[in-house]
Amino acid sequence: MTGKERLLRALEKRGVRHIFGYTGGAIMPVFDSMDKLGIFKFVMSRHEQGATFMAQGVSRASLSTDDPQIGVCMATSGPGAMNLTTGIADAHMDSVPMIAVTGQVATGVIATDAFQESDVVGVMMPICKQTYMPLEADEIEKTVHEAFYVATTGRPGPVLLDIPKDVLNQQVSKDYKFSLENLRPNLPGFFYHPTPARAPVKKAIELINRSERPVIFCGHGVIGSNAGKLLQALAEKAKIPVAFTLHGLSAMQADHPLSLGMMGMHGTVEANRAISEADLLISFGMRFDDRVTGKLNEYAQNADVIHVEIDPSEIDKNVATTVAINADVYRTLHVLVGDPMLTAKPRRRWHARIDEFRQVMADDLRKEIKGGLGDEGKLLMKTIVSQLSDMTQGQDIVVPDVGQHQMMAARFYNYQTPNSWFASGGAGTMGASLPMAIGVKLVRPDERVWSISGDGGFQMNMQELGTIMEHKIDVKIVIFNNGYLGMVRQWQTLFFDGRYAGTPMLSPDYGQIASAYGIPYRKIETLDQIAPAIQEAIDLEGAIILEFICDPSEVILPMIPAGGGFDDMIIKRPMPQKKGGKK
Amino acid sequence: MKRRAILAYLLDHPGVLQKVSMLIRKKMYNVDTLTVCKSRKPGISRMTITLREDDEARVSQVIHQLEKFTEVISAKELDTDHSYWREAAIIKLEIDSTQLEALHSEYKFEILDHKNHDTHIIQIAGSTRKIDAFVAQLGEEHIIEISRTGVAALEK
Repeated sequence: MTGKERLLRALEKRGVRHIFGYTGGAIMPVFDSMDKLGIFKFVMSRHEQGATFMAQGVSRASLSTDDPQIGVCMATSGPGAMNLTTGIADAHMDSVPMIAVTGQVATGVIATDAFQESDVVGVMMPICKQTYMPLEADEIEKTVHEAFYVATTGRPGPVLLDIPKDVLNQQVSKDYKFSLENLRPNLPGFFYHPTPARAPVKKAIELINRSERPVIFCGHGVIGSNAGKLLQALAEKAKIPVAFTLHGLSAMQADHPLSLGMMGMHGTVEANRAISEADLLISFGMRFDDRVTGKLNEYAQNADVIHVEIDPSEIDKNVATTVAINADVYRTLHVLVGDPMLTAKPRRRWHARIDEFRQVMADDLRKEIKGGLGDEGKLLMKTIVSQLSDMTQGQDIVVPDVGQHQMMAARFYNYQTPNSWFASGGAGTMGASLPMAIGVKLVRPDERVWSISGDGGFQMNMQELGTIMEHKIDVKIVIFNNGYLGMVRQWQTLFFDGRYAGTPMLSPDYGQIASAYGIPYRKIETLDQIAPAIQEAIDLEGAIILEFICDPSEVILPMIPAGGGFDDMIIKRPMPQKKGGKK
Repeated sequence: MKRRAILAYLLDHPGVLQKVSMLIRKKMYNVDTLTVCKSRKPGISRMTITLREDDEARVSQVIHQLEKFTEVISAKELDTDHSYWREAAIIKLEIDSTQLEALHSEYKFEILDHKNHDTHIIQIAGSTRKIDAFVAQLGEEHIIEISRTGVAALEK
C-alpha cells in the first residue's frame, strides 16, 4: 500500500464522494490510483479555481442534508496549487470547511526551484485554517483525518495538504497500522467550547426580558449549525424581529412576519433603522464586519450586545459586547429557547415602529419592480428576481455571483427552503457562482439550482461551462448583462460624478458560447419575455443559459456608503452627486 | 504607549514562528521584541512577545488570535507588577578605560574582551530601562555595534 492509496482510503472513510480538480506532474500518481479504485466521482474543472468553488458548493449545500460532505479539491504543484488560492481564501473568509490536496515536487528537489515548484504551504498558511506537508507515507492517513477534524471542528475553514510526489508513491512501512477509532490528534492547543456557560446565558435572558427594542441577528453560524428552526422559535417566543447577514439568509423563511430581511450596506431600511434604534442586539454566529456595521463609532449606540459565537477571537473584535457567549449557536439557542425564564413580551410599540420603517421604501420598490424598466428602457434585475421568486415559489436554490445582481438576489428572492442561498460573501469573489452551483447541484440533485451572474463575473469562470457540458449538470444559468461592472458603476454614479472608469464591458455573443457547449440559450430583452423564459428553464431538464439584457442605470437601494454610518443611508434616486464620496 | 508582554507556549513545529510573525504583520501589531526558546517540556517552545498598545481590547485580540493557531497551547498577558522582564545586550564600544570603569561601577556589566586600549566588548543584562539608560549614558557615538536579545519574561 502506498501513500497515495492511504490518502484516497482516508478520503473515502471521511465520506468524500466527489473530487474536483485538475491533474499534473506532481499529483498524477493520485489520479492514477483514483482511477483504479473507482470509488470517487472525479469532476475535472477547467481551471483550478473552479474546483475550489465546486468543493465549497459541496460543503455549503450538503451541511443541512442527512449526508453532509466536505468538499475536496486537488491540484498539481506550482501553478495548479497557486490557482487554488482565491477559492481557499474565499472559504477561509466565509468559514467553509474544505480540504485542498496539492501534489508537491519530490522531496529530493524541494527548495531547488524545481520545475513547477512553489512554496505552497508558505503561500497558503495565512488563508488556511491549517496546512500540512507529510514527509512520510506513514503520516498521510493520520494527517488526512486530522485535517478533516480541524476543518470541521469549531469555526470551520479550509485545510491544505501539500504532499511531495515521492511521498505519494512511497510504500508505507511493513508494520504500518492505523485505526481511526484510536486516533487522537496531537492538538493540545486546539479546543473549542460548544456548550454555553450558565452565567452569560442567564445574563442574556435577563437582558432579553428587560429589552424594549431588541433585534436578533442571524449569521452564517445559524446556517452552519443548522439552527434556523431554533432561531425562529426564539424570535417567535420572545416576539423579536430578525435581521440577517448576507450568509444568514435562508436560515428562516424570508417572508416570516418577524423577518426584517438583510442588514448592512445594502440591507433593508427596516433592518438598518431597527438596528439604529435598538436597545439590544442578540447576534448569533456572525462577526460584525464592515459591510454590516458601517462606521463603528456610530453603530447601534444605544444597544447592549449579546454575541453568541464559536470563535473567541471574533468576540469584542469590532463591536464591544455586553454579554459574550463563546459557544455553538445551535446549543446556545437550544438552551435559550428551552429556558422557562425567557418571557414573551408583545413589544407592540416596537413592532409598530418597525412597521413604519417597512413603509419607507415599500412604495418606491413596488413601483420600480412593477415598472420593470430602467432609464434606458431595459430590464430591471429586481423585476427579474421577483418574477423568478414568484414562479419558483421561493423554493429553489440560488447561487449568486458577486455584485449588484447578488444584492438583488439577496433582497428580492423569497427564500423558503432552509440553506438555499450560497454566495461568496467575505471575500466577494467574482466568478464564484458558476462553479459553486455545480458543487451544489451534485449534492442537492433533486432541487433546482439557479446560478445568477453579472456579465463581469460570468466571464471570470465561464470556462466551467465545459464541466457542465461534460457532466450534464442541470444548473439554470442566468446572466444579467448590463454591459458594465454594475456595483462599481453604482459607486461611480453615487460618489465619482458618474465617471465610469474601467467598468464598461463588452460581452461575447453568449448565444454562440452556449451553442459551442451544446447548452440551450435564450436572450430576454422585453418584460413579456421574462416569464416564458423562466418557465422554459423550469420545465427543461438540463442546463440552460438565460441572458437578460439589463439596464445599466439600475441601482440597489438603500445603500450605506462605505465607511458611513446608518444615518447616511441613501434611500432615494436620483441622488445628489457627492464629489469623491466618503472615505 | 503602554508596554505589554505576552507569554505563549506552542508546539515546536515547523512554520509556527512564521505564523506568529505573519499574524503580527497582518494585524499590524506594534511589536517591540519577540523571543523564543525551549520550555521545560520537550517539543514545546516558550515565546515572549512585547508590544506597545494602550487598548486592552486589542491586546486580548492578540491573545485570541494566537490561541486560534492549533499549535499554540496557551497565551496570556504578563503584567509588569507580577513578572520580571529582562534582556541582555552585547556591546562593542570605543571608550577610554577610565570612563569604562566609571560606568562599570554603576552598571555592573561584564567585560568580555579588550580588543585594544579603547575598544572593548561587554555584556550587560537587566531590565530594558536599565539597558536603555546605559546606552544613553554611554552615548551612541561610543557604540560600534550592539546586539540586544529582546525581552524574556517570567511570572513572579
